[in-house]
Amino acid sequence: MSKIICSAAIRGAHKIVGMAEEKYEEALKKWGPDQEIGFPNTTYYLPIIYGMLGIPVETLGDVRQILDKCKELVPPPVSDKVWLPYLAPALDAGMATYFAEEIIEAILYLEQPDFYTKAEDPLPDNIWLGAADDVIMRKRGVEFVDGTAPGFAAILGAAPSIEIAAKIAIELQEKNLYVFMCGDYEGKTMSEQLIEAGVQIGWPTRLVSFGPSYRAAVFAIGFATRVAMSFGGIKPGDFKGNLHYNKDRVFAFAMPLGTVSDEWYANAAGAINWGFPTIADTPIPEILPTGVCTYEHVVSNVPHDKIVARAIEVRGLKVSIVKVDIPMSYGPAFEGERIRKDDLYFECGGGRTLGVELTVSKDMSEVEDGKVEMVGPDLDQVKEGDKLPFAMLIEVAGRKMQSDFEPILERQIHHLVNYVQGIMHIGQRSIMWIRVGKAAVEKGFLLKHLGTVMHAKYHQDFGGIVDKVQVKIYTDEEKVKEVLEQAKRVYKERDDRVEGMTDETEDTYYSCTLCQSFAPSHVCIITPERVGMCGAYNWLDCKASFEINPTGPNQPIIKGECTEPVLGQWKGITDFVNKASRQKVEQVCAYSLMNFPMTACGCFECIATILPMCNGIMVVNRDFRGMTPCGMKFTTLAGMVGGGNQTPGFLGVSKHYICSSKFLLAEGGLKRVVWLPKMLKEEIAERMKPICEEMGIPNFSDMIADETIGTTEEEILPFLEEKGHPALTMDPLM
Amino acid sequence: MTFEVPKVSYTGKIREIPLGREGNTVIVGGESCYPFHLFEGEMPNPPKIAMEVYDSEPEDWPDTALEPFADVIKEPAAWARKCVDTYGAEMIALQLASTDPNDKDISADEAAKITKEVSDAVDVPMIVWGCSNVEKDTDVLKAVCEACEGRNLIIGPVVEGNYRAIGATAIGYKHTVVASTPIDINLAKQLNILLGNLNVPDEKIIIDPSTGALGYGLEYCYSVMERIRMAALIQEDERLQFPIISNLAREVWKTKEVKVPESEAPLLGDIKKRGILIEALTAQCVLLAGADILVMRHPEAISLVKESIKDLMTEK
Repeated sequence: MSKIICSAAIRGAHKIVGMAEEKYEEALKKWGPDQEIGFPNTTYYLPIIYGMLGIPVETLGDVRQILDKCKELVPPPVSDKVWLPYLAPALDAGMATYFAEEIIEAILYLEQPDFYTKAEDPLPDNIWLGAADDVIMRKRGVEFVDGTAPGFAAILGAAPSIEIAAKIAIELQEKNLYVFMCGDYEGKTMSEQLIEAGVQIGWPTRLVSFGPSYRAAVFAIGFATRVAMSFGGIKPGDFKGNLHYNKDRVFAFAMPLGTVSDEWYANAAGAINWGFPTIADTPIPEILPTGVCTYEHVVSNVPHDKIVARAIEVRGLKVSIVKVDIPMSYGPAFEGERIRKDDLYFECGGGRTLGVELTVSKDMSEVEDGKVEMVGPDLDQVKEGDKLPFAMLIEVAGRKMQSDFEPILERQIHHLVNYVQGIMHIGQRSIMWIRVGKAAVEKGFLLKHLGTVMHAKYHQDFGGIVDKVQVKIYTDEEKVKEVLEQAKRVYKERDDRVEGMTDETEDTYYSCTLCQSFAPSHVCIITPERVGMCGAYNWLDCKASFEINPTGPNQPIIKGECTEPVLGQWKGITDFVNKASRQKVEQVCAYSLMNFPMTACGCFECIATILPMCNGIMVVNRDFRGMTPCGMKFTTLAGMVGGGNQTPGFLGVSKHYICSSKFLLAEGGLKRVVWLPKMLKEEIAERMKPICEEMGIPNFSDMIADETIGTTEEEILPFLEEKGHPALTMDPLM
Repeated sequence: MTFEVPKVSYTGKIREIPLGREGNTVIVGGESCYPFHLFEGEMPNPPKIAMEVYDSEPEDWPDTALEPFADVIKEPAAWARKCVDTYGAEMIALQLASTDPNDKDISADEAAKITKEVSDAVDVPMIVWGCSNVEKDTDVLKAVCEACEGRNLIIGPVVEGNYRAIGATAIGYKHTVVASTPIDINLAKQLNILLGNLNVPDEKIIIDPSTGALGYGLEYCYSVMERIRMAALIQEDERLQFPIISNLAREVWKTKEVKVPESEAPLLGDIKKRGILIEALTAQCVLLAGADILVMRHPEAISLVKESIKDLMTEK
């Protein structure tokens, strides 16, 4: 922690505690130790003292022990010879500062009962509201807990001009934050500036004028402390619980406007205890490493037009967007809409023009949230029937964002764009294709609005991993080509990354219990090389899903020691499945059809089963309605596999898994496959090639029988013999 | 050789939740065995029946259901008193049906005022049920929480879409919440986790996994309740170890079968007896599935079910 900050905070704490001592002595002489003191209408006494120490200060006499505690907490002034470390003493100094300030404010209530209005709104002759009573605290505190008001900005001092003051206040209001104002800078206060600017202040507008002194900061911190006790079930005196509650749930920060004095430093250091960072407009030293606060502690010299955005980023506040603001209706109902030739106004991509869409992650500082850049003509500048090249480059940033999540976000473009009424989207990556209907153009829809859509939906659906989104939309050919080049590089890197990922390289696999509602004991285990049998969830999807929804159906499992490399058994996995299946499935093999095969819900893309006569395995997909060599159609087979039961010899698999190098490893892998429906074989042909080459049988695909060869074992066996299918000479399956 | 009844060994226990204001609490939950398996464990608190009261005069009730309350039907507070004084109700369930935007759409403040009046009129624990419109319930139930601070009402339905707002308010004003989910064990569990994350204390949560009337999907609801109990009692799923409420009366009394006169459907038999029996049977089923609180309407159906509970609770 910066030595300058710590020294100043400790100096400030000494001054403030000294002042409290003086005030206390004076008051004691005047009123005696039995005089009652406190803030109006609260059952939390002096809330910071009560919350942290559990001591109810009811009379002047009770103050003594608190002042003694302050003296214990405030460290000696920092000498020039000491270098490190300062964090703990400075935090203690800040804490003592708040205790002392509460005492000073309580004595002020005693000396001048009308100093504060004790109301929700300012009065014509007095704008200072003072401590919130319990009625206000409960009513407003609910908003902190349910997220309608995620937190508050505690502003000390005043802005350089009333315009800037009003702008900052409005920006904070737009983020639904409360603005708690106290202190002055060069005789000016933010509260007075707002009144001058014609902005209505008071609790109802969330612009709260606590008091003219910096000491009124205790009303803000006291409010947060009471919220934790009232809504978090935190007991008085449980300082650790209280501070953690605030750090994790109350998105507050301090924003000193003006030169930071020792006293301000002391207050700012105090706020760090609650996990509330400081964002200053002056060039004070910064404290950037993460520690007590979620991210940075002190960030300084922030220009006024960026200060709100920066504060939100530093505190880790999530942006919530309720509505997609475009001139068209928006929703899943429009997903399947087609734009036919007669309705077509404009199109791009789809082989008609160059088209590409790409989502990449960038550093937080490189992304300006909500920015949509359009280069090239938009829909208001084209004629009916025109075609243009198109590129949409979405750049996201987030504290929890990982480059692994990029493809998942990018894949959403398809349905998110399709949700726009009057727009059709097909494909992805550089084969994307967008058609815009006449009706959409009539209503004023522009390509730029796609940026609005993506910004809003990424925040709504992926708020857990995305903090900032900016979108660039190009119809200018040069720009499109640039993005296309970038995209090709990114696609290659991604494909290599997925290729390079094996079950051995990752220590964590994921569960999927999405289907437990209808198959109560079923647990899917998803590994890098084994996609969920529904084909909808791969390992990366699960990883992202867990980040977005930590209590959801995809939980990380540390796989633990590998007990059976060929069958695919790990200690961690066995334990998890046993527990999550409620002891119904005792063990599971990820790579075997015959030994403890994975259970299935009912959503599998394909079913694998054995053909004993051929000593092989057949796989049939859901779309194939005909008879299969095992004597059952898909629908009959599905009855054997689903419902969370382990039936050796029957297994639900995804199409993707068939071409995985871990496909039924225990039974010999792809080499065992003797029959596939023609449609399935064609669908996976491309992906099968490299595996066949690896097996040393490049023409293996031709050895696999399909329904044109036969739909009974007797019919296909001669074919396999003729082709010399390797399964015939492999170890017996049973 | 003597026959020994095979016994299930339980590892979990349902939480005991005190309902109502201090001095007049009713405790529900606490089971350490499947419903009425008294030979295997304990049911310290037999299931309770809450009698329905509506916030305004119901318009679509069959005569069978109206008849017992004809004198109080326009006055919720008097209605509640009658339930307690005449029929010995252990709890009251105030249904705020007229807050429904597609119905009378009365305001949140008005609903809170009615709730307060009913709550002042009786001292048994009170359930307050919104209209199941996510947004409207948020406004209404928040206002109700505020108006009845300290009464420890049982507020519902709290669903995924409004659990934060209502949950937070319930914490602040110290009420119990009904976590309501559409017939799905995973969703039930998830909502309980979310409420826990919000810091709603565990002793302030009751769950409602949804109920259908006899012949209207009851078997599906039954299975989900049963599974929740299995997960809670033998599978150590502590986020499901909460008492279950079944808001069944309104489901029963809107079905065709309780309304069709005998003249139109002679096979269905006497209309009065029929309605009462359908309600009692629905209640009996959810009791066996694991419900701890039954929201019921007809006094005769209630006395049938009470008798049955008494019978089942007697060890033989």
